[in-house]
Amino acid sequence: MTTGTAPDPALVHAAFEQVWGSMLFTAFEPWPADAVPELGPGVQAQIELRGDWNGRIILTCDTEVATQIAGAMLGAPAEEVLPDDDVHDAVGEVLNVVGGSVKGALGGVMSLGLPGVTEATSPPSPDSSIIISWYGAPVFVEVVPDAA
Amino acid sequence: MRALIVDDSRAMRRIVGRILSDAGYEVLEAGDGQEAIDVLEAQAELPALACVDWNMPVMDGLTFITEVRKRPEWRSITLMMVTTESEQDRIVRALAAGAHEYLIKPFTGEALMEKLDLLGLLPVPAGDLS
Repeated sequence: MTTGTAPDPALVHAAFEQVWGSMLFTAFEPWPADAVPELGPGVQAQIELRGDWNGRIILTCDTEVATQIAGAMLGAPAEEVLPDDDVHDAVGEVLNVVGGSVKGALGGVMSLGLPGVTEATSPPSPDSSIIISWYGAPVFVEVVPDAA
Repeated sequence: MRALIVDDSRAMRRIVGRILSDAGYEVLEAGDGQEAIDVLEAQAELPALACVDWNMPVMDGLTFITEVRKRPEWRSITLMMVTTESEQDRIVRALAAGAHEYLIKPFTGEALMEKLDLLGLLPVPAGDLS
């Protein structure tokens, strides 16, 4: 049962901003309010938070963006072709670090699960997502509480 | 000097490995605590340093540190937790279990080098690092 409050969007925003700068060496840019985010075939990373608040943080982006994020994180040369497993692993680790930052900021008794990464089967709703711009492509972030 | 990186993320092992290799370390890797124990048992020459994630499948980092500290023959290994776990009680638990240092993700290469400098484990002078 969840007794605590869900992570504030500003807190999640701040965690991504920190990770974008320190792990991906990229300026964090929110998605422009007047732009329509579109998602092609993509990947979805999830991590669970358990304790005073129970739910998941979910990151969804298209496959090309995931590959670019992995390349930035690994400092991979442009010509290096990263296997899907490495791309999934890197995106999962990005979310793991974000989840850790959010958990630490929430306080209380909390634990963090291990990240899981799958193919994205459907695009998230822009209305329920924080959307980050990755060089003009959207990265969707959702904070989803467990069903009551 | 040799270093063992224990992290279930290949990406994180690659990042930490590159920093340590640039600093002059020979790097060993393991994907969880049990695999790390297997790696240590197979070494004729023990690593001077182990960088250990907390949350891993099979055997987590805290259990690994506890297991290492039970083995007198592994006492020479300096243990540094490298983890997203940032709460004060986690840091206290890790240090009480036998970790010498604690580095919170995300971190910079400079932050890792500063920790190694504090531990006296920089193989080459920091000023010589590119």
